[in-house]
Amino acid sequence: MRLLVLIFALFLSACGKESLVQTKSYVFGTLVDISIYGETEDKAHEVTSHILQDFQRLHRQYHAWQSDSELSTLNKRFAAGKTPVEMSPELTQMLTQAQTLSKQSQGLFNPAIGGLISIWGFQRDEFTPVEINDMAIQKLVQANPQMSDIVIKNNTAYSTNSTVKLDLGGYAKGYALDLAITELQKQGVKNALVNIGGNIIALGKHGDKPWRVGIQHPREPKPMATLDLPSGWAVGTSGDYQRYFEQAGKRYCHIIDPRNGYPALGTQAVTVLIAPSPQAGVLSDVASKPIFLSAPDQRALAAKAMGVEHYLVVDAESNIRLSASMSGRVHWLTKPEKITVQ
Amino acid sequence: MVKPSKWGKPSLGDVLVILFALLFVAYLFKSLWHNEQAAKLQIRLGDKIYATYSLDQNRNIDIQGSIGVTRIVIANGKARFASSPCPNQYCVHQGWLNHKGHAAICLPNQVSMELLGGKKPFDSLNY
Amino acid sequence: MTQPSKNKSIEIQTTSDDHRIAKLAAFAIGLHLLEAVLPSPLPGVKPGLANIITLFVLYRFDFATAAWVSLLRVFASSLLLGNFLSPTFALSLSGALLSLAALYFAQYLPRRYFSAVTLSLLAAFAHMTGQLLVVRGWLIPNAGVAYLIPIFMAAALVFGVANGLLTNYLLRINPVRLDEDKG
Repeated sequence: MRLLVLIFALFLSACGKESLVQTKSYVFGTLVDISIYGETEDKAHEVTSHILQDFQRLHRQYHAWQSDSELSTLNKRFAAGKTPVEMSPELTQMLTQAQTLSKQSQGLFNPAIGGLISIWGFQRDEFTPVEINDMAIQKLVQANPQMSDIVIKNNTAYSTNSTVKLDLGGYAKGYALDLAITELQKQGVKNALVNIGGNIIALGKHGDKPWRVGIQHPREPKPMATLDLPSGWAVGTSGDYQRYFEQAGKRYCHIIDPRNGYPALGTQAVTVLIAPSPQAGVLSDVASKPIFLSAPDQRALAAKAMGVEHYLVVDAESNIRLSASMSGRVHWLTKPEKITVQ
Repeated sequence: MVKPSKWGKPSLGDVLVILFALLFVAYLFKSLWHNEQAAKLQIRLGDKIYATYSLDQNRNIDIQGSIGVTRIVIANGKARFASSPCPNQYCVHQGWLNHKGHAAICLPNQVSMELLGGKKPFDSLNY
Repeated sequence: MTQPSKNKSIEIQTTSDDHRIAKLAAFAIGLHLLEAVLPSPLPGVKPGLANIITLFVLYRFDFATAAWVSLLRVFASSLLLGNFLSPTFALSLSGALLSLAALYFAQYLPRRYFSAVTLSLLAAFAHMTGQLLVVRGWLIPNAGVAYLIPIFMAAALVFGVANGLLTNYLLRINPVRLDEDKG
């Protein structure tokens, strides 16, 4: 009998441990939402604060428009001439990875167009309409800053094109996700969900169910679908609704087409679901952009070039197009009128 | 020969009944104890719903009850009775509530609060 | 049987059983009062030692006697504590009624396999259920007390088993001596 009571007490104490600790904070100019399941509250808070410190550091070090960041220093030196600049091993690794991905996307993912992003006024904390300077845009597009203009060697870099201005806005959050997963695993956390401004990566499960994420509707203030994220999977969305300004009834979103220097039209949102890999987080951030910028008949090709099998597109007319593999994973909360499986 | 203990041996039926009871209590814990975080706070005054608030905000709510003003505070996804005109202060001593289904009540002032789930069908939002 | 009284004064005819039952009921009331003044971490969570007496009476006498002792205890204690017809009394009474109902059925379980532990456990669960019904239906109908149910039931489990073991012990150290009386 006493044994039974003991077993019962053990059961109770085991029960108490299995809780979800969710922390929301503000880093990268966006909401960071970290959920940890199955750890004690103290442990979860400790690990979370560790990760948030990492994020703060990344944010400061690779900030695109704060003049004292390592990235800003690099940009100034790129503009000044072709002398190699010393970089941290981390930045070297990041730029090398970004170069590879930019090449893979045939230049549609292009973090070298910080100049264009600045002209469009998206290198600010608030997005107010800017006067569109067609001349400056033309000039920059013609100068054609590319990731391939950067020559990386032994933790140093220089640019053969002085208009190269790095903005890791479409990369750093994904990099931070991969970093967070590494950190979580190092700390022995088995179940967690990390969301940086909408880019999400999963580790383990939420209890006996997989982590489940909602996908924001691009035009309504509610999610349109949910998606189960198995361990190691990541999801990211590029949407014209995230950062934009409206001028003369036209929406100018923050996703700039490097080919013409103008905000992309023709797409409301692209969501990509990324299979587990050491760069799943980065891909969730990067891979949606080339699809977003591609013409309707080029989207499948763009996805393939980025190694993305699961993607979902909401086009300018609010039609939903998704890959066959994606359609098997999406649970609609409000069934859209028109779905095209590609 | 061993002298039979005064406590006797537990009989087979007893052991089965206890095991069954353990399972039953375990089931109760599993089904009634949500580790789910709450999303909303519902406050009742008397037998009426006074108001429902989202826990995604920090604010104080003052409610005029039958014997005075009760203050409820929402902060960081939790809620509690902060002050109450009642003599026993049981409600204030209940402290912070943060899980779905948790409730606190102040009988003298007829104010009660209950945390409701968010009915969020997902853990986090991709946007 | 006692002989008819030769005195003029009114004398209620009593048996030795009656005396034993009265003693047991008094003992039950004592235990009830003791628990009433002891502090409890959670209102409503109490060992319910008086139920040991109810069970003992059920084993040594019969169900009707056990029911009588149990209800006598509830009423007498509430009068002594001055909470007759109060919520506390309602909780006691509903608990006692439901646990008696459980015992009524449980007494037919084969004794070979089911000892007082089973009966005590079933009675404790029924007792707690009765109390929770009163809480939900009358005292605080609107507030969510659902999350307290597992705690109450876990307490009922622990105390039910403990009381059952104590009852077994009492039954063993008090072997049946009633056969000769009953004839």
